[in-house]
Amino acid sequence: MNLFEKIFNYRMMAQLEEHGALAVTAQERRWLLMMLEHPEAAAALSPDTLDKLRQCLGGSDERNDSLRSIIVEKAGSAVPSLYHPLLRTLRQMIVKKSGMQLRHTRKDGFLLPSQTGVPYKLEYSMVKREWYLLWYNRRTRSLMTTRLRSIHSVEEMPVSGEFFNQAAATLAQQLEKRMQHATIEIIPDYNKELSRILYAFSCFDKQVQYDELSDTYTIKLTFLGDETEYVLSKLRFLGLRVRVTDHPYMKFRMREAAQKSLARYGYSSALETAEHDNSVMSAEAE
Amino acid sequence: MAKESFDKEIQFLRMLVLTSGAYSRQQFADRLGISVHTFDKTIRRLKDIAGSVQQADEHNKAMTDMLRTSYYESADPLLLFLFRSKSLKESESYRLSLLIASLQEQALTPLELLNLCCEGMPEELALPDEKTIRSDLKYLEQAGVIRRLPGGRPQKYTAHNDFVSMLSDEELSDLYAFVDVMANTQVPSVQGYLLRDSLKKAMKRRQLPDGASDLFLYKYHYHSRILDEAHLYTIMQAIESRRKLSFHYFTPKSNQSYHSKNTNPMFVKPSEGRLIEMLPLKVAYDHQYGRWYLLGYSSGRSQVAIFRMEGITQLVESGVVTEDEHAAKLAALERNTSFSWLVDLGRPVTVKVRFFNPEGAKRNFIKDRVQLQGQWGVLTDEDDASFLFEITVNGTQEIKPWLRSFGSSCEVLEPVSLRREFIKEWKELAEYYEPVRKNIQLPDDGTA
Repeated sequence: MNLFEKIFNYRMMAQLEEHGALAVTAQERRWLLMMLEHPEAAAALSPDTLDKLRQCLGGSDERNDSLRSIIVEKAGSAVPSLYHPLLRTLRQMIVKKSGMQLRHTRKDGFLLPSQTGVPYKLEYSMVKREWYLLWYNRRTRSLMTTRLRSIHSVEEMPVSGEFFNQAAATLAQQLEKRMQHATIEIIPDYNKELSRILYAFSCFDKQVQYDELSDTYTIKLTFLGDETEYVLSKLRFLGLRVRVTDHPYMKFRMREAAQKSLARYGYSSALETAEHDNSVMSAEAE
Repeated sequence: MAKESFDKEIQFLRMLVLTSGAYSRQQFADRLGISVHTFDKTIRRLKDIAGSVQQADEHNKAMTDMLRTSYYESADPLLLFLFRSKSLKESESYRLSLLIASLQEQALTPLELLNLCCEGMPEELALPDEKTIRSDLKYLEQAGVIRRLPGGRPQKYTAHNDFVSMLSDEELSDLYAFVDVMANTQVPSVQGYLLRDSLKKAMKRRQLPDGASDLFLYKYHYHSRILDEAHLYTIMQAIESRRKLSFHYFTPKSNQSYHSKNTNPMFVKPSEGRLIEMLPLKVAYDHQYGRWYLLGYSSGRSQVAIFRMEGITQLVESGVVTEDEHAAKLAALERNTSFSWLVDLGRPVTVKVRFFNPEGAKRNFIKDRVQLQGQWGVLTDEDDASFLFEITVNGTQEIKPWLRSFGSSCEVLEPVSLRREFIKEWKELAEYYEPVRKNIQLPDDGTA
């Protein structure tokens, strides 16, 4: 088995598409069979479909992959459940461009009154192992992010295609407005660890600059405003290797984290009062 | 014919994705260990492939922009096109696709296919003979794209797509979503992404809306992880057949990451890489950085040997070992890595830390995260304000960044050496962010 197969070649792919033909290899089917053994499959597919697929795939392909026994996963998050029961329903609503009526709870568990809107996208956080629904709130005309776990009930509500598309366009704009930038400098003493540092940031939208004279790398990150906490946790993760140079709030938070940490170790004399007028509660490690 | 190697492309793309535009052509070529000429040639080829795989309007963009990870816009793995780069003659790709297309909804004999092919081939391409068609069919059958129908001669073939064609529209749509989610959240993923592309086409053929490829978003994906999967199957085969592997290894700290295999001894240049022979036993995926490791046994002094997949080039199978030897080495590896936070083989130490619950927050996100990511660590001594976390790990180096990422919500209690390191680092970090006009003196004796 080889991932570099003639059949996967880009010209092949284009020509198959032209002919409207489907070419699935044994290794793809084996991968699918391996995934169908995952307990999540039962939440994703109806028992009937699952049966049909298992029978059809299990009969024809020579053997199961032993990959599962060879791969060890490290430092991952425990996954409570990957396929949320509402995932199918919500995805179908988005595909059909339908509106919805939604009841969900707040962070403290309080059940909010029913709201109407348009489902936009389903987002999975690989870090928190949690699904979120991004949706358009009709009343506030704004982007909402709700954990699927917090959704109490959701019902389909017809809306015009025009309204759906308009809502989606509004949300795309609002997301664009929430974009932030931060410049992060790699301390040249740690250039030997460049690979590790760049790997750690490779999950973000980034551009890297290199100044040969000073042998200094700077990373310009682009991220959504509500992801600041995650960027901060990455910065603390990397510790002395990197420094934010241009984002006042993040600089303030890094200083605060250092001072508060030192206070934990009994260096409270070093703690200066925060000068920053931002009274945001530190949500470290969120 | 020598086996086509994709080492250069893999190393090239990895560096391109990680350094996102940092280097000039010359700097890039130097660091990769190739000439500027080869750099230009490689980027032209990759751009060609990427351009034809992605939308046409992407064609004029610079390669780095094409690969800029817009994780909030699309869940399409941009590096997947690497696996579409195997070279193939135009006449062959045309012939193979024609064969597959002809077998979509019917079963045909090799001779019937030969006739169809001769009619269907464009004039400028050479007409196939029966031998070619038979060898094509053999290849496609081996790859599992088509299958032979039971029954006597003449043999009949048909496309191996029943598992898709038997599904109703709704079932196909559900399967597409399932494959999308699994490919994006599980390892390995490359075959899942390839399958997803095919299912997308199947839906298009039935005129089903696929809800666009960006209906699901996946946050914080390590995109370069799929490059490492290129070696996964060679390794898996070696493990299964109890064979050793040999390769040219570049440590992440070396200044080069590739060295061309020159057949002419006149042009052989010294390489920073090391030639390694080892017995592969496991592969590990590290979720913290999105990197793969190869774990095994080498006859050198270190014995249990760990290699980063990104440094492996010119990977080939070598000698066989006995079943007993394999089992013994595997047991030794498992013993040595059972307490590795990632892959550290250091001496086991017990790390004890106190985590502080967030004040005034609606949800205890500190505890949630510790439970989610704390691997085999144990939570004890809980009260309203804090809880203890205890874990035995091989060395403290690998767990340290994770603990530090909690900032002041975490206080290291034991071992004392780690506690001292944290104090020292937080002092230095405080200095990084010190307003220039202030100069706070902190005692630096490491006691607290």
